[in-house]
Amino acid sequence: MKNISYKKGILVMALAFLTMSACDDKLSEINTNPFAIDPVNANVNLLMPSVLGPSAVNYLNLGLGNMGGAMQHTQLSGWAGGHNFYDWGGEDWTGYFNILRTNELLIKTANRDGFPFHEGVGLTMRAFLFGQIADYWGDAPYTYALKGDEGGDEFTYPQYDSQEDVYMSVIDDLKAAATLFETGNETGIDSSVDLYFEGDMAAWEKFANSLLIRYYVRISEKSTASKAAIEAIVSSGKFISASSEDATLDYTGKSNDIWPLFYTDEASSTRYQACKTLIDQMNATNDPRISVWFAPVQVRWEQDLLITGYDEDKMRIDGVVSDILRNWSDYRGRTEEFTRHYNPNDVTFDDSEYVGIAPGILLSANNTYNGNTVGGQGRHNIHASMLTETFMDGDATTGDMLQSRLVSAAEMHFTLAEMAINGWNVGDAQTHYETAIMSSLETWGVEDEYATFIADVPFAGTVEQIITQKWVASFTSATEAWNDYKRTGFPVMSVGNGATADVPAIRFGYGGDELVNNTTNVNSAISNLEITEYSGALGKDSPYSKQWLLQGTGKPY
Amino acid sequence: MKYEYLCKKLVSPIFTMVTLGLLIVLLPSAMADGLRDIAVSGKVTSSVDGEGIPGVNVIVKGEQSGTITDINGEYSLEVAGENTVLVFSFVGYNAQEITVGNRKVIDVALSENISELSEVVVTALGIERETKSLGYSVQEVGGDALNQVSQDNVVNSLAGRVAGVTINQTGGAGSSVSVVIRGASSLTTDNQPLFVVDGVPMNNGLNNVSENGNNNQVDYGNAISDINPNDIASMTVLKGPSAAALYGTRAGNGVIIITTKSGSGSKKLGVTVSSSTLFEWPTKLLDFHYKYANGERNSTLDEGTAYWAGPELDAGNVVNQFGYDEPTELRSYPNNMKEFLQTGITSTNSVALTGGNEKGNFRISYSNMSMRGMIPNQDRFTNSLKTSINHNLTEKLNFTSNITISRANSNDIPSTGDRNNNPLQAVYSSSYIDMNLLKDYWMPGQEGIQQNKPPEGDNPYFIAYGMTNAFVRDRIYGNVALTYKFTDNISLKVRQSLDSYSENRETKIPFSADRMRKGNYTVADINYQESNTDFLAAYTKTMGDLDLNFSVGGNMMKQKRQSVQIGSGIGSDNRNNGLVVPGLYTVSNIPLDNISVSDEYSEKAIYSLYALASLGYKGMLYLDLTARNDWSSTLPVEHNSYFYPSASLSWLANYTFNLPEKVSLLKFRTGWAQVGNDTNPYNLEQSLSTGTWNSLITQSVSGTQKNPNLKPETATSIEAGIDFNMFDNKLRFSGTYYSVDNENQIFPQVTPLSSGYSSRIVNGGLLRSQGLEFVIGGTPIANKDGITWDLNFNFSKNSTTVEELTGDLDRIEIWKDNGGAYTFLGEKIGDIYGYGIAQVQDPNSEYYKWPIIDGPEWIGLEDVEDWEKVGNFNPDFLLGMQTSLTYGRFTLNASFDWRQGGEFLSYTYRYGESDWKSQRQLDQLIQGGLMSESELIAFLKSNPEEYIIPRTGYYPRVGGHTAETGGLEYDGEHDGAFIPGVVQTAGADTPDDFSDDEYTEHLGGPGTTIIPITEAYPWSYNKNITFDASFIKLRELSIGYKLPQIKGINSATVSIYTRNIMLWNAADIGVDSERAFQANGGTQGNTASQFKQGYERQNVMPWSGSLGFKLNLSF
Repeated sequence: MKNISYKKGILVMALAFLTMSACDDKLSEINTNPFAIDPVNANVNLLMPSVLGPSAVNYLNLGLGNMGGAMQHTQLSGWAGGHNFYDWGGEDWTGYFNILRTNELLIKTANRDGFPFHEGVGLTMRAFLFGQIADYWGDAPYTYALKGDEGGDEFTYPQYDSQEDVYMSVIDDLKAAATLFETGNETGIDSSVDLYFEGDMAAWEKFANSLLIRYYVRISEKSTASKAAIEAIVSSGKFISASSEDATLDYTGKSNDIWPLFYTDEASSTRYQACKTLIDQMNATNDPRISVWFAPVQVRWEQDLLITGYDEDKMRIDGVVSDILRNWSDYRGRTEEFTRHYNPNDVTFDDSEYVGIAPGILLSANNTYNGNTVGGQGRHNIHASMLTETFMDGDATTGDMLQSRLVSAAEMHFTLAEMAINGWNVGDAQTHYETAIMSSLETWGVEDEYATFIADVPFAGTVEQIITQKWVASFTSATEAWNDYKRTGFPVMSVGNGATADVPAIRFGYGGDELVNNTTNVNSAISNLEITEYSGALGKDSPYSKQWLLQGTGKPY
Repeated sequence: MKYEYLCKKLVSPIFTMVTLGLLIVLLPSAMADGLRDIAVSGKVTSSVDGEGIPGVNVIVKGEQSGTITDINGEYSLEVAGENTVLVFSFVGYNAQEITVGNRKVIDVALSENISELSEVVVTALGIERETKSLGYSVQEVGGDALNQVSQDNVVNSLAGRVAGVTINQTGGAGSSVSVVIRGASSLTTDNQPLFVVDGVPMNNGLNNVSENGNNNQVDYGNAISDINPNDIASMTVLKGPSAAALYGTRAGNGVIIITTKSGSGSKKLGVTVSSSTLFEWPTKLLDFHYKYANGERNSTLDEGTAYWAGPELDAGNVVNQFGYDEPTELRSYPNNMKEFLQTGITSTNSVALTGGNEKGNFRISYSNMSMRGMIPNQDRFTNSLKTSINHNLTEKLNFTSNITISRANSNDIPSTGDRNNNPLQAVYSSSYIDMNLLKDYWMPGQEGIQQNKPPEGDNPYFIAYGMTNAFVRDRIYGNVALTYKFTDNISLKVRQSLDSYSENRETKIPFSADRMRKGNYTVADINYQESNTDFLAAYTKTMGDLDLNFSVGGNMMKQKRQSVQIGSGIGSDNRNNGLVVPGLYTVSNIPLDNISVSDEYSEKAIYSLYALASLGYKGMLYLDLTARNDWSSTLPVEHNSYFYPSASLSWLANYTFNLPEKVSLLKFRTGWAQVGNDTNPYNLEQSLSTGTWNSLITQSVSGTQKNPNLKPETATSIEAGIDFNMFDNKLRFSGTYYSVDNENQIFPQVTPLSSGYSSRIVNGGLLRSQGLEFVIGGTPIANKDGITWDLNFNFSKNSTTVEELTGDLDRIEIWKDNGGAYTFLGEKIGDIYGYGIAQVQDPNSEYYKWPIIDGPEWIGLEDVEDWEKVGNFNPDFLLGMQTSLTYGRFTLNASFDWRQGGEFLSYTYRYGESDWKSQRQLDQLIQGGLMSESELIAFLKSNPEEYIIPRTGYYPRVGGHTAETGGLEYDGEHDGAFIPGVVQTAGADTPDDFSDDEYTEHLGGPGTTIIPITEAYPWSYNKNITFDASFIKLRELSIGYKLPQIKGINSATVSIYTRNIMLWNAADIGVDSERAFQANGGTQGNTASQFKQGYERQNVMPWSGSLGFKLNLSF
């Protein structure tokens, strides 16, 4: 009896161990993720869109967004701190370094596996992104940046390079990229993943060279090399010189390139309205682009000596008195004439067809600007111009004009016109100026109006005129206008009392991510900034302090 | 429709059928039993004084049935036959078992219990141990205590009952319940204990939140709620590594062992039925003013703005407004929330069947819980069927099995994790709109396409009924085990257990939702499976004064999780692109270029071997030793094996020394233990992630850096305690001190993105938790005139400090928002910071500490060194109290929970004040417009600390909303305000030399920037919205009545109860500080938690009152 019990027991035990040993997978095999891709097996054609797409989206978001506000193309009627008021303390560069991380792998893999085109694209994009980082923030990690995976505190907490060194590296990368494109070695090109130029190496070479022109000019106050370098590029002819060659990303309205402005309700894209600074300039010069970008005021003021003051709380629809329609959607698609009457002897309103809101005024003033009585946080002012439906409701319309424009022929020709005035051997200033204007009108579909318009803005031979026209042409990509402003002080702009200071800001404050996680190094970079009279209590890390590029230039203030 | 069908069409009939079936099967047998009944009666007396003892439990052994003695100590009941064994038991007396035999009258004299220490608890690996022999603190909560009040999640009933255990219901009914034992001290895990149900480790993470659609965070609740509370016999809390060491890796946060009821001891068929229904209604709302209509200026109604700063309500202002064709007076609707909410009803029904014979026993139970929430359309159901079998196959071979099949589902879980898509937030959108105007939530003729949308935000009824977040979770868990007894001393147990579930989630959002104009459809399938195979060989031997127990065991754990989620893209740019055809919720109706797909898979295994030895000497000294080695798949080969031991000692000094008789127990205990821990799967090697750019597939490098050199974490703990009982255990004290060092924590270190990566998984650091726990119990009245009164207090205090970190790291991030919850080296976990405010630094200046005003505002200082600590989200201490009072057939039970100290940030109030809705800020305003300029300046300067310098919970502002309320003139109206302080002018020297700076007063005189009051809110300072989190809650209150004997029914109890009543709350703003847990789509900071603790953001279900009824019957 006892024997049997033991045998049964042994049987049970044996069963137990059998069960256990039946699943003797190696532990490390269990920890191999079947859903993951080893970086060693990265595919350059799959990496490329991850770099090109978001880079262009960021550029547009800034150029249409906060830089558009900073350069007084537009003003917002709510949530306007960064747009109207230059509230740029603590901007993170997440959007740039997240792309750069993948871009590093693109460069490395392309170099290792012999794909010169892809390597050139990677170098160009690194320059494009780091160039912006230097433009916006100034000093930034470069030499030690993006190497966190190599371990070691020097890479985890990267030191900063001077803004000067970052610009020099940008230029080196662009030169190297241009050389790679020059080879014409098309190994591995898949035109569908090149969101800018469909695999056209020559176009990429022009893009890289155009960026070289941009950055040589950027540092021209501080570098003697710029002149010769730009003259060489111009003589080669390999730069973006026709509007058809512009470096752009199309917005198709699919999931990844939906135009950032679209109407959802009365506090959505309706908050974007024209800024007085730009509207006044365009009104004064009968600029044909005004009706492409901006809508006439929804309710236009009309002089009427028969009434006292103004039509308080009333408007007129085809002359018939009515309650004021306050929503953008109330007007959408209607063709009647909407007016309000006022007596110019009693009050003063701007009764132009296009009205812009004064820059940087308090939001409450913004909402009541030009006699508006139906404003509110994020709601539009019916007596000021909004963007046209094309730009304001990207969801309703898609079209050729919805693009992120990284570099344009107009920018190049304006730049060269300015350099020609400075005496550089880059061609005739007036020709460049007129070509620039023509290119811009082409871009916005009003090239037929060129003759009339150029008569209103004849070449005057001044830097101020060139930069001012360049600023107008930079609509949707105002970043370059801002860089020009910093360099030249043009166009001259005033700022309302809602902003921190009386002048536009000239840099982004370092972001929380660096202040919190890379404190020592960022503080060392901050110490290199130069305080201006507008820096205020934020001290050196203020949006109004000067980076190396502007120190000692007396520009823009 | 699918889920509704399943629930209503299928589940209810199943329940009815099962109930009916059981009744058909059982009633005849119960009646047949009745025929054989023998009537027994008698008197129970005390052996000490011979007096009758009222309230003594007289129970038929092995069944739930029985009776209690009356006021004279007399009882009578019917038993099944002569073999029936009656058990007589009463607090403070030794229980007696008596076989009925042929007697009709059985009188019993109970002797007083000198020591109740033969109490047995379930410890690690399910080993039953005498409490007295344990060298560590273990607290058990019996099934009776858990069942006085019905809870939808069983762990809620632990609140306040166990020292050192913090329970937080993170949101409304059905939301996750966080259980933290001895403080959150792990960065690697969600700090939740391991739940072991009848030996089966049950998956119960806190991370059950997903974002389906833009800003639609849904907390699906944690999976432990699948357990039917009526099945639970007891819950044992193993608090520290000492107690839990044998569970190894997963026990770092403690273990909650749930033992379910079995048919043990049953000799005949028994049936118990339990039914309860709870009604719940809103009581206290947010402290909002309902004085002004929506608008930004006093003069103008602006229906589309969130601000409540428009024209005065109920003041005869007649305007065109939402819902009316004609101009109508603006009226306030402060009861909108109560109007919107409905009475919540939770009903729980369960039936259990037990039976057995000399060979074994079984128990089958079925339970159904259905909950209708207070938010319209919110519901939740659980159904579970459990069988447990215990059968002796031979004299030596025993077979047991416990298997539960359960379904948990809901047709709609409202999103309350943020402001958007949150019905509660939507109700608070407009002050002047009558809820009744919104009840028809579709525009006539545009059903399914256009909601009847109020000008500001979504229609709350549209959110409640139109947007649905449903889920169904089918789960099977249980085990089968064979135990073979070789001899009386040697046994071997082999067990296979499984926990497996599949969960389907489905979110439908119709067209015209504010943030998703073209709707959204998201589905997810989640499959989880864990299997454990283990064996345990035990040897026991008594040698003279020595008792020896020795066991060795092994375990093989495999875990697999797989999930697929498909839905409309949810990026902010995709809000307009959810579905093609309105109202058609299929994956194929999502535009192809806006479909978002993600799939995840992970697998992990841990193999373990362990041994334990327990030595007892003369029943007064016990030594326990354990050792365990784990091999984890998640660690690199060279570090994947790790060993850890533990030791504990228990000394019953009252047996060693000759102590006075009053002392019933004096026990000293101490323990030391180590536990190793691994990490999540796939944390070692970097990998590329795939994504899309429109129709292109793309690759990109993830921002989280993996680490191929990870080592296991180690938690080392020491624990020491004393137990001291007096007066026949009528006064009980237990105290414990513990310290746990968590070393080598594996956590994502936040790195600056300029390194290329946002975080890096690292090993390092040392987090030290220290705490004290006291349990004091007493029986002030023991069976005097039929009254027994029991009282129990649990006190605990814990703090966790960051002692060491890795590399240059000087802090860890718990979560961030305008500062956030960070812990700096040497500081305590839970600290909350806010941005600093630029203030005059010169102590000699007359303006010392005054805020510096720039434009109209303060200057925020975002640099880390300028941050201000505003609080800590952990409490100073917790105190729980339970009391029970028995009088004859009546029993009253109450459980209180007092949390003292700690702070939370209310982002509801941040918005509520910025949007000018809260009453608090109206009260705090300095009504400067009522004074002359010089009076105002003198007034402000009379007490700068009070009127000028900001402090926690208060930010000085001067002005008002109207001339009457002290508004200053601005742009023709009297709604102007300013922030008092000084304006700084740079001195003549270099701009960065501040010593010669000049200050101009900004107190209402010339140069003061006046702005509309609605623009004068300092938006980015956590200091303004920090509140004291202390509260006292009545967790449970119940009054039960045991019905007199009814023929055919063994026992019947009815009770009435209420639960979770807020008695006191320090903040007093209508926000339940316990719910300062914000649910997020992803994990936060360096932690593994999806919740931001100490951060409340529109998680504002009103406080509620409740009333429940419960009936227990056993046949």
